[in-house]
Amino acid sequence: MFFEKAFPHGKKERKVIENIRSHLSLLCTACHTLEAALEKRDRNLMGEVINLENEADIKRREILSNIYDGAFLPYLRPDLCKFVEIVDSIFDFLEETAYCYLEAEIPPEMAGECLRVAFFNRQMSEMLLITFQALVDGEDLREKTLAIRIYEKKIDDIKNYLTKDLRAVPVENFWNGLYLSNFLSSLTGISDVIEDASDHLQIISVSIR
Amino acid sequence: MNVHEFMTTRLEFVDGGASVYEAVEKMVDKRIRSLVVRFSGKDDGYGVITARDVVFRVLAKGINPQKMKVAEIASKPLIIINQDADLNEASGLMEKSNVARLFVSDGQRLVGLVSLMDVMRAMLIIRARGKYVL
Amino acid sequence: MWKILGGVFLGWSLGANDSANIFGTGVATGLVKYRTAVLLTAAFVLLGAVLEGSKCMGTLGELSRLGALEAFHCTVAAAVTMTALTALAIPASASQAIVGAVIGIGLFYGSADFSKLYKIISCWVFTPVCGIIAAYLFHRVLGYILEKTVVSLTNRNLLYYLGIMVSGCYGAYSLGSNNVANVTGVYVGAGQLSAETAALIGGISIALGVLTYSRKVMMTVGKGIAPLDPFSALVVVLATAFTLHVFTQIGVPVSSSQAIVGAVVGVGLVGDLRTVSSKMLAKIAVSWVLTPLSAGSLTYLIITLIK
Repeated sequence: MFFEKAFPHGKKERKVIENIRSHLSLLCTACHTLEAALEKRDRNLMGEVINLENEADIKRREILSNIYDGAFLPYLRPDLCKFVEIVDSIFDFLEETAYCYLEAEIPPEMAGECLRVAFFNRQMSEMLLITFQALVDGEDLREKTLAIRIYEKKIDDIKNYLTKDLRAVPVENFWNGLYLSNFLSSLTGISDVIEDASDHLQIISVSIR
Repeated sequence: MNVHEFMTTRLEFVDGGASVYEAVEKMVDKRIRSLVVRFSGKDDGYGVITARDVVFRVLAKGINPQKMKVAEIASKPLIIINQDADLNEASGLMEKSNVARLFVSDGQRLVGLVSLMDVMRAMLIIRARGKYVL
Repeated sequence: MWKILGGVFLGWSLGANDSANIFGTGVATGLVKYRTAVLLTAAFVLLGAVLEGSKCMGTLGELSRLGALEAFHCTVAAAVTMTALTALAIPASASQAIVGAVIGIGLFYGSADFSKLYKIISCWVFTPVCGIIAAYLFHRVLGYILEKTVVSLTNRNLLYYLGIMVSGCYGAYSLGSNNVANVTGVYVGAGQLSAETAALIGGISIALGVLTYSRKVMMTVGKGIAPLDPFSALVVVLATAFTLHVFTQIGVPVSSSQAIVGAVVGVGLVGDLRTVSSKMLAKIAVSWVLTPLSAGSLTYLIITLIK
């Protein structure tokens, strides 16, 4: 017992890293599912996104308890936990997007751009996983975080267009309008949080040098 | 990664018969550097007018942009690339033709525009992806 | 034989105070459990005292001729000075206190040998200097090596953890080997104890101080240095341990607090000269003068009172 604590061989740390990796893989899957659901206009598939959010929540709790079970140096733990929480809020945005989609009617003229946003979201989530892997391997994160920022700006541009186009959409029903608006803001908000997450990885990378 | 993943789908048009000044107003308001020119009449191709054209051929020469028509300084034909082409083809074509943007077609019609900045951003992303297989 | 108790008291207060310099950061940041830290410190202090503690024993005895009773007075005076200064929150160095006490006795009896004092004082001055240089070099060199070799997150993490443990043990060892002479060296000079026995008894008394009374100081000192990143914290402890060990070889007991302050400054120099506060430097300079003076005058007073 004393030896395990006195001479750690990184078993707990590896477990945490594995779990965070699968948490991020789950994120990629969720983004991919959202994209596919939008493309095929599949309501069942959209419902899957909500299920994935639940699964992610369970994963998050597991990771947090692993960390406080004694993995990593105490000064690293809060940053790692913060990262997991940020990723968790990405799932919340995905869930919100899915809910609003199921409640609202997306005008066909906006469907194409929305699909593009979902496409870029998926690419961003994959880049986030790559960035995390780079952090674990001790590499420089600069190029990866730049890539994520590029995606975020691209989505920002589309968001501007969508917001302008939205004003031209006739709204007979207030609730439909509300859900449509919420759908757009959560769909375009996903990328902001992914960018936050990657910024946080940069912080962790700097603090361990 | 191919062109259609990184292009802009929003194209802004201007009539060949409009004044250069109208074109300039549009460019300023929409914060873009080029406009697709629609030629009226039997010549139903497209052309392009860019900020370079406006500056070097009109403003810097002291010519009044309100007195000049877009069709007089537009370049044609458009330099087009297919949406399934890859980035290297795009950058090669830009370099060969000495332009900063290419127009994207799906085989039948114009679907977008890919600029030098777009190509740069896409190449940076490929670099970041590096050896990672997704 | 009861006169040895003065030394035991001094050793105990030294252990309680100075052990914070070794594992303070580790414990305050939650890296090392307090129990583990004190057990390791006590063990390695004793080891250091027994293995190399005798190297410094001679120095104090050279300062002035001491009988057993005088030795007792010295240690008590030094211990009291230490306690008083600690209570006033002024950094207290056992080395400087005991030297002041011995000189005080020497002045009273007119048997002080000031020529030996020069060697000791120059070592005091060089302690923080050595700390600065060692810390700066270790940070640069080790940092460079680590950058090239250990890069992955898990490995870095493991390395820092092991590093703090190992450097802590080395630090405790150096502290024991260097400072045990402060505690019982006077009795060797007085002929009451052999160097080896003095080292053993002194080592045990220091270890006892570590085990029983070091918690509060460990938390306070540790928190003060805690803002350092783990690598710098590691280098600070390593540099302090190294400095103490060097002076053990020279044969002069020095202050671990001054060594660690130097080490922190040295690490600060790697980053930016601005992080080195002139206030801290001033504090070191003041305590160089204040501690031995007050210890000496106190001893003088005590002796006059008794006679």
